[in-house]
Amino acid sequence: MIKFENVKKVYAGGHVALSDVNIEIKDGEFVFVLGQSGAGKSTFLKLILREEKMTEGNITVGKYDFSKLKRKEIPYLRRSMGVVFQDFRLIPTMTSYENVAFAMRATNIPEKEIVTRVPYVLKLVGLADKGNNFPNELSGGEQQRVALARALVHSPPVIIADEPTGNIDPELSFEMMELLVAINKVGVTVIVVTHEQDLAAKFDKRIIYLDKGSVVSDSGEIPQHDYSDDSNDEINLDELMEVSE
Amino acid sequence: MNFSGIKYLTKQGLLSMVRNRMMSIASIGVLTACLLITGISVLVSMNVSSLIDFLGEQNKMIVYLELDAEDTVTEQVGVSIAEISNVASYDFISKADALEQTKEWINEYDEGSYSSVLDGYEGENNPLYNSYSVHVSDLELIDDTATAITALSGVDFVESPSDLASTITGIEKTVTIAGLGLVGALGLVAILVISNTIRLTVFSRRKEINIMKFVGATNNFIRLPFWVEGTVLGLVSALLAFGLVSGSYIWVLSIIEVSGITWLQSIYFSVIPYNTIWPYLLAGFTTAGVLLGGFGSAVSIRKHLKV
Repeated sequence: MIKFENVKKVYAGGHVALSDVNIEIKDGEFVFVLGQSGAGKSTFLKLILREEKMTEGNITVGKYDFSKLKRKEIPYLRRSMGVVFQDFRLIPTMTSYENVAFAMRATNIPEKEIVTRVPYVLKLVGLADKGNNFPNELSGGEQQRVALARALVHSPPVIIADEPTGNIDPELSFEMMELLVAINKVGVTVIVVTHEQDLAAKFDKRIIYLDKGSVVSDSGEIPQHDYSDDSNDEINLDELMEVSE
Repeated sequence: MNFSGIKYLTKQGLLSMVRNRMMSIASIGVLTACLLITGISVLVSMNVSSLIDFLGEQNKMIVYLELDAEDTVTEQVGVSIAEISNVASYDFISKADALEQTKEWINEYDEGSYSSVLDGYEGENNPLYNSYSVHVSDLELIDDTATAITALSGVDFVESPSDLASTITGIEKTVTIAGLGLVGALGLVAILVISNTIRLTVFSRRKEINIMKFVGATNNFIRLPFWVEGTVLGLVSALLAFGLVSGSYIWVLSIIEVSGITWLQSIYFSVIPYNTIWPYLLAGFTTAGVLLGGFGSAVSIRKHLKV
């Protein structure tokens, strides 16, 4: 279970990225964390991965209570989550096999286990024949599946996908989402962090909508009010044209 | 950490050295130079100490007794000299022995032409003094020892090489201080060089480190390859420096041995033989190399690897 209780994050300089966030994600759930640019999605990810510390409140991920979390426990917390980053974060000098094996080596898993587990996971994501290819020899979709294989290799109870459709074609996006749904069906908690409302709308899943650092909706629906219009960061072309005239 | 993990990380550290080969070669070069200069300065310092000990052993203080001193007084002076803490050893030289030594000296240098010149000075006519030849333990305290002996009843005067003693102890101090300063400064340079190399490695591998963090690698797992790299750089430099210093030392010794220059040959016996010194050199170089490499990488890891 992942729990955010009255979480607030204020960065140095006073920028409030998240404020009074209360979220509870149960084991085996499939959740979209939706929001426009600047809504606090990245901060949500950073907090959950303990890349950043919360300013107020508390976060619990499985058995890890962040208010009591020791520095040396952070690697073990991260092992309980598999993350697929938007930019994939594959090591260009390593083959697909090596990239996946790297995650196992980094967590001190014996070689004999690596040689059986890595081909199995690559097969799961449909890349059984691409083990010897380097990232630059793979398409965007294939690179993303290598990243997914790497996230899955530890059989973590939670998979987090950061903008999984951000760097690939629309058809491949759907394939990726189908893969995540399949993973969720075997009991893995899946959190998809995205700004794409259309993508979230295609699946009948829980949607947590963030805007300006707060949870404005937590349901299976996208809120009717278009919060993106409130964003100061967005340039309204119509208004701009009117001023020019 | 299991064996396959250690094997993998060690391999990564070595691979990193190969990948950054130009920087590794530069680091090894600078570190070898540092260790080389340090090694040479330590060797010079050790040999100067050995030479000073050798010269110190050659130095003796001559205590001349009063011409009319009774035998009991002479014996008492000997006992009193023995009680002085800085006295390492002493020998009594009777006036008769002194005369014999003088005759031998004249015969040796003048091939017997003037051997009769001291005839008739034996017994009551012997103008020489009874004396004690005294060796001291600490050359630096020779003046105090001479003053204490001069104050003894029955002692006429003392001949002490105090100028030479102070010069020798001065040289010894200077060589030790300069050696320590040099070793300290070069040690610091070596740490900075290793630290900089590791910093560049950390920078070039930042993406890998970032991924390691997010897949749950422990801090020690992330740090180990960098530590291996620094230590191996230090070890390779140490072995190179050892080879160069050994070769140079053997070469210098062979030059001194066959030089035919009297003063060089006279110090040859005080020079520490290579066979005696090489195990210490090897141990010193490898320890210094590994420690400098390990410490240099630790400094850089601490400063630049935020894990």
